[in-house]
Parts: sequence; structure tokens; C-alpha cells
Amino acid sequence: MTALAERARVAADRIEAAERRGLHAVLAFDRNVLLEQATKLDAAPTDGALTGLVIGVKDNIATLEYPTTCGSRILEGYRSPYEATAIKRLKRAGALIACKTNLDEFAMGSSTEHSAFGRTQHPEQPDLVPGGSSGGSAALVASGGADAALGSETGGSVRQPASFCGIVGIKPTYGRVSRYGLVAFGSSLDQIGMFGRDVRTAGRVLCAISGRDPNDATSADRPPLEFPEIPNDLLGFTIGVPKEYFPDDLDAGVRAACDRAIAHLRKAGAKIKQVSLPHTGLAIPTYYILAPAEASSNLARYDGVRYGPRYAPGEGDVQAMYRATRGVGFGPEVRRRIIVGTYVLSAGYYDAYYRKALRARWLIARDFDSVFAGGVDLLFTPSTPTTAFRAGDKLEDPVAMYLADVFSCPANLAWVTALSVPVGRSDGLPVGGQFIAPQFGEARMLQAASVLEALVDRAAEAR
Amino acid sequence: MTWETVIGLEVHVQLKTRSKMFCACSTNFGDPPNTNVCPVCLGLPGALPVPNDGAVRLAVRAAMALGCEVHGLSVFARKNYFYPDLPKGYQISQFEQPLSTGGRLDIGTLEAPRLIGITRLHLEEDAGKSLHDRFPGLTAVDFNRCGTPLIEIVSEPDLRMPEEARRYLTTLKRILEYLEVSDCNMEEGSLRVDANLSVRRPGAPLGTKQEVKNMNSFAAVERALQQLRDRQAATLEAGGKIELTTFTARTGELKPMRVKEESHDYRYFPEPDLPPLDLASYGIRLADERQHLPELPQQRQLRFEKTYQLPTYDAGVLTATRALADYFEGWVRAGAEPKSAANWVMGSALADYNEHGRFRVSPDRGFALIQLVDEGTVSLQAAKQAFTILGDHPGDQPRAVVERLGLVQVGDAEQLATWVGEVLAAHPAEVQRYQGGEEKLVAFFTGQVMKASRGKADPKRVQEILRERLGG
Amino acid sequence: MTLSRKDVERIAELAALHVDEQQLPQLTQQIARIIDYVSQLDAADVGSDAATWLATSPPQPLRPDEVRPADLTRDLKSFAPAFREGVFVVPRLTAMEDE
Repeated sequence: MTALAERARVAADRIEAAERRGLHAVLAFDRNVLLEQATKLDAAPTDGALTGLVIGVKDNIATLEYPTTCGSRILEGYRSPYEATAIKRLKRAGALIACKTNLDEFAMGSSTEHSAFGRTQHPEQPDLVPGGSSGGSAALVASGGADAALGSETGGSVRQPASFCGIVGIKPTYGRVSRYGLVAFGSSLDQIGMFGRDVRTAGRVLCAISGRDPNDATSADRPPLEFPEIPNDLLGFTIGVPKEYFPDDLDAGVRAACDRAIAHLRKAGAKIKQVSLPHTGLAIPTYYILAPAEASSNLARYDGVRYGPRYAPGEGDVQAMYRATRGVGFGPEVRRRIIVGTYVLSAGYYDAYYRKALRARWLIARDFDSVFAGGVDLLFTPSTPTTAFRAGDKLEDPVAMYLADVFSCPANLAWVTALSVPVGRSDGLPVGGQFIAPQFGEARMLQAASVLEALVDRAAEAR
Repeated sequence: MTWETVIGLEVHVQLKTRSKMFCACSTNFGDPPNTNVCPVCLGLPGALPVPNDGAVRLAVRAAMALGCEVHGLSVFARKNYFYPDLPKGYQISQFEQPLSTGGRLDIGTLEAPRLIGITRLHLEEDAGKSLHDRFPGLTAVDFNRCGTPLIEIVSEPDLRMPEEARRYLTTLKRILEYLEVSDCNMEEGSLRVDANLSVRRPGAPLGTKQEVKNMNSFAAVERALQQLRDRQAATLEAGGKIELTTFTARTGELKPMRVKEESHDYRYFPEPDLPPLDLASYGIRLADERQHLPELPQQRQLRFEKTYQLPTYDAGVLTATRALADYFEGWVRAGAEPKSAANWVMGSALADYNEHGRFRVSPDRGFALIQLVDEGTVSLQAAKQAFTILGDHPGDQPRAVVERLGLVQVGDAEQLATWVGEVLAAHPAEVQRYQGGEEKLVAFFTGQVMKASRGKADPKRVQEILRERLGG
Repeated sequence: MTLSRKDVERIAELAALHVDEQQLPQLTQQIARIIDYVSQLDAADVGSDAATWLATSPPQPLRPDEVRPADLTRDLKSFAPAFREGVFVVPRLTAMEDE
């Protein structure tokens, strides 16, 4: 058996074992599909940058090998007749597409509890959530089932689960990676993100799939990113620490881990500077107006006419069919967001909500611009306000779940790039530290994260 | 008791592009259903729109020709509603910041211009086609048309008569066709009209307007508006109130339509999948586009009048369509004298075109035919005969055709003299009358010679000989 | 402002979303909660500048007007819920308007 085939076999075994355990990271997996890809690659080897890398794909990204359900009944069994640009590029780079992973339905959620097909467990503690919406991808990578995985970001859906699961998660700059084939949720916020157990792996995946795509008018006219040289230290880096991300009531364990990380950064030679992003408090209300508004429109196409299951209530015309199909097909969180989104766009409310939110977004983005223009290369913050929470804890009050995105959604609103890297533990649970860089500033961000990662690992070993 | 009629027109025109507005599917009309489709125009999960450069340029061209102010920055917007032929559940259109605003269309004449305001002209995509009677109890949907580029042209409510609405449409069609922006063919659906009408006492505020849709010709638009106006006037005169209604005129009779949704809340918002349409950043420079605007019909008509010394009527006929005007100028370029070319094109060529749908006789052959007449080889009558044959035989040259048909005139002086002699001998009474002063009789004698010669005599020469013989 | 049940029903109608009678009260409560939360933006001073699109990178050029083969590896029948003689079919529209 070749090395490649062996890797595929080991991955398949791990995936199946984890699923048997009840992890439920995976929605679609067939070990033969994985093994066949390895065989094909052995027969026609490429020198692709990701050759042999086993990658899971969040189930809101179109693939040919498996259905694309978005964790929803309304797309149950749907097989896309085309594949996402990101998938094409992964294959071209020699990666092996392992499986489709679980998610909050249509990427709406922060715990993966809103999947129509059951929640995913935290890879270490089954009673906890892995985060969301890309919880399946995060759990898959953290549990060793795959080397890397694609997720998607709209308000933090890669960085937050990365933080909860103790792995690396990257949100590229808006426009860095093609959205063609990523099922739209909040079109002006969405980006395909990536997970890896280290910065290098996640970074290489980013590089392989980045670059202009004529099929996505919002993808920037830039060539693919090249993975940067990693320096030995951070001399010459100025890292801003925004006070709004270190409120007085920040979880003590999270604060401690982040403070240790900042100390590492300082020791590595970075200059640490206190900064302010004054409109941070507007981020969640702004996000929860803009994202549902766009979602309400993006999800209008799910009507049972051209694809997906159809629920025709016996007699009744096509409008009745729409109502029934969508009433049955969408889960409660998606339904709430569609209603909120429709409301804030409707006549009489558009100016007070949507138009106002557009302006607030602009202010939030300008906060980042000003800070970066003032000599700061990167920002460092906690990725999430807490460590992984218990399943069921945040389902009573929809807003409670939204507050989990407080540190992550500003970066989506500002169109900038950010990543989460493990910086330690609190009560035994992983804590993620977040770097935020200016638009198209991934290279610096990957450098700083790599240096920090090495220091954190060394410190952990020392203990 | 007079009523003033106030009419506005909203016209949707399909742009003459090869591919659709937001994807690379063909816009070809008449292909088997659902064969020109892709993930984008089917609204599959994850598909994204990418704007068509050609469509944008045609829209800019149209906007300029209609005197609109073209905005260097405009924004696409989503118009959200549910309908089976609208796959995304929204149409990508333009709302708050359209491509262009503030134009005008002159539906009058040079001496009496009549300007109709144009509120806006913007870009959008077409929906698919719903067929309600294909299968019982079902609606069938074909997405071939879905995503075809459209421009929506909204007029100010400046029209005052149904007849003016018709003129607006013919004028608009002529311009857009000249610019090669669209075929403007109502039967094929490349031009669609939504008309609105209200009546009021002169000086009173605007009345409630009603809409009428689904007309399939310009004449049908005029008729529908006449019916609507009469209906409204009758209602008001009987003391009734005008209800907000939309009518369909598909059958020629006005029938109220069940409105698609009770609330037309389209929840417009800027299209997040598309950057703003910043023309300059896409290499579309307004000054260049203006410079390269094809000559507009009215300009061309004026030029024909001046340069070719053609009467207004003739110039108007010859510039009715771009193809016709180009064809006529082809004859002139080939060497034909303009007035002569005008007669031929307006006469034989246009008749032939109407029968066969194209100009079958090339300008070069047309000119060669004119030369044959000028040099006396054939009579005008005979040439007209030959014209049709030339149409049937695209490879043949005029001279060969007239010879083959035996249409060549006899110009031989001896033969003509013989015939003239015969005719004069046969009609002594008329000869006397001619010599008595009735010079009109030369036509009679000419006719007789033509008869004797079975049409072959060259009438001009015959007349010369007659005058010689008869004296005077 | 308190969102009413009627409001939620109207919005659900606009969104072509069927909601069961018994679910309506809880849904209304949840929506009201969310709307109340996001309404805090109301009090914020966000200025009156028109928000313009992010423009950091030059945009990609527009697509040239050319026909290209469709990105479809399988035919429409493979995913259509109801497909007959080359067309998608749905229960007939009551408010019929043929074009």
C-alpha cells in the first residue's frame, strides 16, 4: 500500500471510529470515495501543494462527490451538478476530499445545534458544543479524522469553533477566496474559511484556494496568496490590543490565556500598543440586521420548484407549495432569521434598520482602517468570550447565542482577515487567541500566528 | 365635458447580446426548453451573477441616444418576490441608483417637436417563461429566457393620447433598432409594454391610474389604451370611482388581472453579490461611447434631405429602419444618382423586401440596372420586371438577365422609323388633330408604337422620331 | 415598539413561510426579542453618509459577451423534483397570467 493510500485508510478509520463514538461531525462519508481518490492520485501524481492532504468540507459548499444539504431538510439529498471553485482548486492541488461535515442549518448558528440532522459533539467533551456554524469541520480536524477542513465564515463561524476545539481557524479577507459554490447566507459577509491543527496547514489550504475567480464578481482581482516565510521573531511588528475586546467582565480563564499570549508576543519582539475600536458595541446589532436581511433574500430560492424535496399540500396552487415546503423544510433558527430579515427590509422599516445598519457597518470598518493606518500591523484579541459551552445552554433565548459572536463578527463586518490560534486552556478547555489584520494582510497575520503558535507549544511542553 | 388623458409607458427591451446578463448562457430565442441554462440562471445553491460587458455598453448606448444622463456609478438591487419563473426568488434590477435618468424622446416632427420625458433607463435581468396551459392543473416553466439582459425604460406621464403612445413606441423601436441595441420585436417578446392611464378634468389633479399589460403589438397598445380611457371616462361620468386595477389585454378585450401579491413590497436592497457599476473602472468611458454612437434616425433623415436633396417624405421612408437606410446608401455608394436610387429602393426593392424578408438585390446590381435604363438598353418598365428576376437569381448580372428575357429595347433607327410610319399611316385622323395643336396625342402614338413593337421600342427614341415626323 | 402576532403573520406571508397556529405565540415572542435587541442601533448616532461599497481592490473586469458551455455535469432531471417533457412543473398558479 502506498503512503497515500495508507493516509486515506487511516483517515477513513478515524472518521468511522469518531462517528461510532457519537461525534457526528460528518453528514456524508463513504470510505470508498476517499480511497478511490487516493488510488487515482497515485496513478496520476501531481506536484500539487496539498498532495495527499485529507480535507473535510462543510456541507454548505457544493461538491460533486456527496450531496450538499446545508444541514437542512429543504436540501435533503440534493446533489449539486457543479462543484465550488474552492473544491476544484483543492483537487488541482492534490488534496483528497474526505467527507461533508455538519453545520448549523444554512450556517446560521454558533453551536451546530441547529443542524436538522443532529448536533455535533465537542471533540473532547461530548456534552459540550464544538461551536458553530462550522462545528462539524472543527470537530473533524480536532479529532484527527482529517488534516484540514473547509468551513465558512459569516460572523465568526470558523474562528469560534476553532477556538472552542483548540485548532487553527482562518477567515480570509472578503474577496480573497471565491464564493462560487458556497451556498449564500450573508453574501456581503460570507467567505470560505479553513481549519488545520497548525497554522501552516490551514495557511497552505488558504493559499491553494485563494485568487481571482471570474465566476465570482466579488472576488478581488488578485493572484493566489503565497505562504510567507515565517520569521524567527516578531521584531518590527506592532500589535494593537483593543480595549473593547478586554472588558472587565471577560472570563478570567480566557483573559489569563490571552495575557500569556500577549506576553509571548512581547518576548518575541513585537511592540504592543493599546488601541480602541470605539464602535465595537454596534457590531452585533448591526450584524443581526444585515446578515438576516441578506439571508432572507438568499434563501428565497428554496421553494421546491427546481431542486430539493417538495411538499405539496394536496390541493392548492404553487404559492401553497412554497409555504408548505419552506414551512417544513426550514428549522426554527433559519425561520427566525428569515422573518427578522424580511422585517428589516420591509416597507416602513428599511430606513430605520437596514439602511442604518449599512452606515453602522461603515463606521465599524473605519475603526479598523484608522487603527491600521496608525502604525498598527495586527490586532490581538480573545477569539471568543468564553470556552465551549454546554449543549442546550443557549437555546432558550435566541439572543444569548448571538452574543457568542461579539469578538468575531466585527472582522466580517469590516471585510478584514482574522484567524484564531490556540493559546492555552482554561479549566481544561481550549482557548483561542485572535489575530486581525487589514484587508489582504494575511501574510503578516500568518507570520505572527506561526511565531505565537511555536511559543505556545513550547510553553505547553515545558509544563 | 372633456377629459384629459394622462398616459405613461414602461417598456422592457431585451438587449441584443449573445449571452445572458449574468451568465454565459446563450440568449437565442426558440431553442428547446431549458437547454440554455446553467447554475446561475437556474438559481442553484451557491451560484453567483457576473455582469455582461456587452449588455452594459448597449444600455449606455441606449441611454445616451435617449438623451439621458448616464451615471458613472450605479447600483444593482434585488427586487424580491415569489414566482415560479423567478428562480432566485428575486430579480436583479436597479432601484435607488439606476444607470441613467432624465432623458426625452421626440415623437413629433422637425417642425412640430413633441418631447416625451423619460424618467429612467436601467439594467435588469429577465425571468423565465411560465406556461399555464401546457399540462392540466400544472404550470410549466422554461428558464431559457431567464437572465436575458433587459433595459427598462420608464416614461414620464407626458403622453396625452393613445395614438401618441403608439408613436412613442414606433419612435423608440426605430432608435433602438438603429443602435442595434435590440430587435424590439413584440411578437418574439424582445419588447414588452406596461401602460398606465388615468383621466382628469383639465387642470384637475391626476386621477387614479390603471395599468394594462400583455399587448402583443403597438396597435394593440393603442387600442387597449383607447378602451381603458373610454372605460374610465364612462365610470367617472356615471359617478363611479376608479379602482386601482391592472388589466390584461391579451385577448384584445380588457380583463382585470388578479394581482400577483396583495402587497407589492419588493424589499429592494443593494445587490451584495455585485460591486457597484462604476463604469470608468470597467473601462467604459462615456465620452468614447458618445463619440461612437451610431447615427440616430432623425439625424440620418436630415442628412438624406440635405445631402441627397430628397424630399422629407422620401427621407422619412428611407430611414424607417437602419437596414433600409444602409441599403439605400449602398446604392448611392455604388454610383446611383440619389433620387433614382430612392425611387428604386422605395419601390421595387421595398416591395421585394416585404415579400421575402430581406434585400435580395445588392446595391451593385441595382446600380447596374439603373445604368441599363439610363443608356436606353431597357425601358423602366422592363427593368422593373428584371428586378424581380435578379432577386430570384442572386448570381446573375442585370445585362445578362435582360438579354435572356428579351427585354432589350429596340433602338435601331430604321426599325423604329418603320413602326412609326406604320402607326401614323394607320391613324390619319389623329395625325391631323396633332397637327391641329393637340400635342398630347404624342402619347397615343407612342403607345401605338409600343403595341406594334410588343413593348420593345425605346419610347424615348420613338417620341423623338414622332416629333420629327409630325413636325412641331 | 412591540411586534404583534399580526406582524409576524404578515411577514411570514411575505416570506412564503407557513407557520403553524400553535407556534405563532412563541415565534412572535422570539422575533420581538430579537427586534428589540437590534433596535438598540436606533439610539446610536451613525451619521448620514451614504455607506458605499468596499473598494480596496480593483474590481475584476466585466464578463465578455460570449456564450460558454454551462457548468453542469449532470442533467436537470437528476435534481429536479418534477420535470416533464423538458420543463419544470409545479401546481398551477391560481392567479393565472400567461404571457
